[in-house]
Amino acid sequence: MKMPSPSRNGSTKAGDWRSYERVLLPPVRDLHRFDVYVKHGGYKALRAVLTHNRKWAPGKVTEAVKASGLRGRGGAGFPTGLKWSFMPPIDPGTPRYIACNGDESEPGTFKDRQLMEYNPHLIFEGILIAARAMQIDATYLYIRGEYADWIRHMEHELAKLYMEGYVGKRILGTDFSSDIIIHKGAGAYICGEETSLLESVEGKRAYPRIKPPFPAQKGLWGRPTTVNNVETLACTPLIVNRGAEWFAGIGPEKHPGPVLYGMSGHVERPGVYEYPTGMLITDLIEEVAGGVRGGKKLKAIVPGGASVPVLRADMIDGVTMDTESLREAGSMMGTAGMLVMDEDTDMVKFLRRVTRFYHHESCGQCTPCREGTGWIENLVTRIDEGEGTLRDLDILLDLCDQMEGRTVCALADAAAWPVRNTIQRFREEFEAKCRQSIYAMA
Amino acid sequence: MPAKHIRDGVIYAATHVPTMSKITIDNKEYAFQGQPKLLQFCLDRGVELPHFCYHPALSIPANCRQCLVEVGMPIRDRETGEIARNDNGEPVIRWMPKLDTSCSVDMADGMVVRTHRTSEQVERAQQDNLEFLLINHPLDCPICDQAGHCPLQNQTYKYGPEGSRFEFLKVRKPKKVVLGPRVMLDGERCINCTRCTRFTDEVSKSHQLTIIERGVKNYPMTAPGEVFDEPYSMNVIDICPVGALTSIDFRFRARIWEMSSAPSITVTNAKGANCAYWVRDNLVLRITPRANPHINEYWLPDEDRAAYPRFNEHRPGGPRVRIAGELKSVGWEAAYARVSELLGSVEGSNVLFLGSPYATVEDNYLLGKLAASVGAPAPVYIPHVEPGAGDGWLITDDKTPNAEGCRRLGIHPVDPALVHARLEADEIAAVYVLEDDPVASGLFRAVDVQDIPVILHTYHTTNETIAVADVVLPAAMVVETVGTYVSADGYAQRVWPAKAIVGVNRTLRMEMGVSRPDSHGTPFDRWHNASNRVNCKPSWEILPAVARSMGLQSDDASPGAIMQEIAHTIGAFEGAAYESMGAHGVRLAEIGATV
Repeated sequence: MKMPSPSRNGSTKAGDWRSYERVLLPPVRDLHRFDVYVKHGGYKALRAVLTHNRKWAPGKVTEAVKASGLRGRGGAGFPTGLKWSFMPPIDPGTPRYIACNGDESEPGTFKDRQLMEYNPHLIFEGILIAARAMQIDATYLYIRGEYADWIRHMEHELAKLYMEGYVGKRILGTDFSSDIIIHKGAGAYICGEETSLLESVEGKRAYPRIKPPFPAQKGLWGRPTTVNNVETLACTPLIVNRGAEWFAGIGPEKHPGPVLYGMSGHVERPGVYEYPTGMLITDLIEEVAGGVRGGKKLKAIVPGGASVPVLRADMIDGVTMDTESLREAGSMMGTAGMLVMDEDTDMVKFLRRVTRFYHHESCGQCTPCREGTGWIENLVTRIDEGEGTLRDLDILLDLCDQMEGRTVCALADAAAWPVRNTIQRFREEFEAKCRQSIYAMA
Repeated sequence: MPAKHIRDGVIYAATHVPTMSKITIDNKEYAFQGQPKLLQFCLDRGVELPHFCYHPALSIPANCRQCLVEVGMPIRDRETGEIARNDNGEPVIRWMPKLDTSCSVDMADGMVVRTHRTSEQVERAQQDNLEFLLINHPLDCPICDQAGHCPLQNQTYKYGPEGSRFEFLKVRKPKKVVLGPRVMLDGERCINCTRCTRFTDEVSKSHQLTIIERGVKNYPMTAPGEVFDEPYSMNVIDICPVGALTSIDFRFRARIWEMSSAPSITVTNAKGANCAYWVRDNLVLRITPRANPHINEYWLPDEDRAAYPRFNEHRPGGPRVRIAGELKSVGWEAAYARVSELLGSVEGSNVLFLGSPYATVEDNYLLGKLAASVGAPAPVYIPHVEPGAGDGWLITDDKTPNAEGCRRLGIHPVDPALVHARLEADEIAAVYVLEDDPVASGLFRAVDVQDIPVILHTYHTTNETIAVADVVLPAAMVVETVGTYVSADGYAQRVWPAKAIVGVNRTLRMEMGVSRPDSHGTPFDRWHNASNRVNCKPSWEILPAVARSMGLQSDDASPGAIMQEIAHTIGAFEGAAYESMGAHGVRLAEIGATV
């Protein structure tokens, strides 16, 4: 593949994205099949890592991932190589695990499903490379329960891998052994939280754990564990095959690589699109997704899944999809699942739906989140139903303060951010509804 | 202490000298060793912090989020380890970006903490959290058993908001759920602290309870078809910080402020578990655990709690004497006279004195003295052991509280074959029974002792030996007396009276002043019902009176004085005194008593 050339207009960090060649989801027919994947150079990276002991010693794989600048694709954007290096030194007799997070449940996020459907072996190969790099005994691939079809599909391909000797004992005839176990979720959003996922794999009620200890110290069954997103691990075979420099050269320097953009909402062509990081939001909407549906005007976007702050249409000029640029704009990259809303969207209704989700999905462990999410939904619903008061808006913002940063995991934060930001950035809409309410004078 | 030995709050043992670290809480400095958790450290030093989910015997989930505090660490130079200081020479503190739950914070040298006493942010956070806890709580305190000793109620008064801004329907959850034979759940009152599920997972290990549902609908429940019937199930009632888990037996029976609670021990078995007897109008209404780290920690088996009716039911109404084949109620003096008459009519060496593992050390000791003074052999006792009944924890095979105390007094288990042979050979001319039931226990049949005098100290009118007894002397039970019991593990523990009896006994009244300062149900309480006071006497009052009526020298002595005498004369009790036993007992082996 040729290196991305400078962009035509020179303004986008994503480079010449129009001539970008897809690597996570390459246009190969039936790539999900083991034989097709191998025929197209699949498992070359794994073979290299397992056989070139000098060039690809375990530590060197981690170094390469560090050098590539790969950041987690699960939402938090933590540098992957750094996370791997948190694993303690090998202690014979202490098993080590990877928990690969495929529990994507954030509203607006559906990119992992695309990978599982069209390129599952890239995930498996990525897992095995990470397993080699960190000397992992077993990987639990956690897939959300609602993805029943994709679970069946992945299990089918994994069985083939075991038969062909790519997973399990003495992989590809080397002395490296590592297992992959597909674990099916049961439909709880909270299981996507890394420590909650570990509890779920252990067969317990998925209440998030207090950190520290972090999973690298005490993860699955108290053993060292690394939790990585499906898409994150799918990037590692590419880094091994094409080199860290190639990867680091895609998109902006501090948040490089290919990324799956999940475009949904009021666009002409919703779907998952693979492009470099650092794409202009306007490019994604206008060019990639075909523009706002019906030629309407854009009102707002949520750049990375329901929990990241919403951006008004007038806030996205020149903003690109990477950590830095989005932080400046007042939002986050999240999972790169972008919700697009046109001018007819009722932002109160939008927030009502979002708060309903977090109310439904709060695990109930911590008081502020358990009680706050329900109260917030009640308030937003009341405003939307035309029974709210201006005081309700103050209470809503107060409740955000009362929840944020006061719980074990980040679900309370994720529930509070959209409330705070939607009210702040569309306050006039909320106030208008309150003023029209039957209690307007209150 | 050299600073280089501390890194990331962990003290690396460079020497064997214990290193002292310092922590500043609300501008006050405290020294500590090791790495204790902040909340427990504060509680131990009287620095109160509100909390619900934390329990010292359980794991720390930090889920109630009530014990939030501000935590900071001094900034240290990376290379030298020196603490950075400002112009005034004070350490520069880097505060954690978020509030921390003090229950889960590991203390570290130099740590600085601000509680609600010095931080408005913390005060506000505690208030906010209580507002959240209360929005879906039913606030049915007026009909809730927990009211009056409810951590949620108490802490809301102290730390909570003035009112509520919540104007919606509260969440509906199942109520009156029978979890098991002894525990009932009100799901709406539950604040999801998970103390109950952690108890069944970590302490009793029955794993019978779990949280079901999700989010605000959460509540504890058993698996479908399962019953919460483990032998320690009622402990979850005690540790529940609200009225969600209540006792099926006790619910709605009494308000907490109508009862007095007296510190004591349970007498259901030989463990000597510490408990409180809850009494209203001289009726024992329930038994709850009292913390004792050496014996029962915070727990009590259900069977110990279920034993309370025995203190109220089938209690005798004064002494009785058999006249012309019929038991007739008489006064105490007349009863003593009859005992002396009966014992004086037989050869002293032919009297069988039966001690009792139900009775206190003092009572058994006095019985031994009486036996010696009439020239009888040392008393023996009837063991009540059910092999296999014990669980290696708080339930023992031995169903009596003081067999070890008897053994240490030189009172040994009876040999039934020997008693039988002596009865056959007419070598037993009279039987003196201390607080036991030899007929029901099968030591002998009623017909075997029909023709000889039988003197019986008894707790209950259901005692089967009464049928052949010539004198029935009602004895005070553990809830009415003062005395010492020795557990199977060798802990000597004293008890205090929990309820009043008929008659005047200065010792009991003084002791009750300590155990029941509230005076409920005493003669000073105008609401009390005289009929609930039992006409009985402690055996340590009866036995000296019997001796005196026989013309023997015997002074009335308080149990404390009797224990002093025992400690001086019997090596197995050397050093034992009420002062050393205190409220939590003392292990005799540790104070130099020989076994």
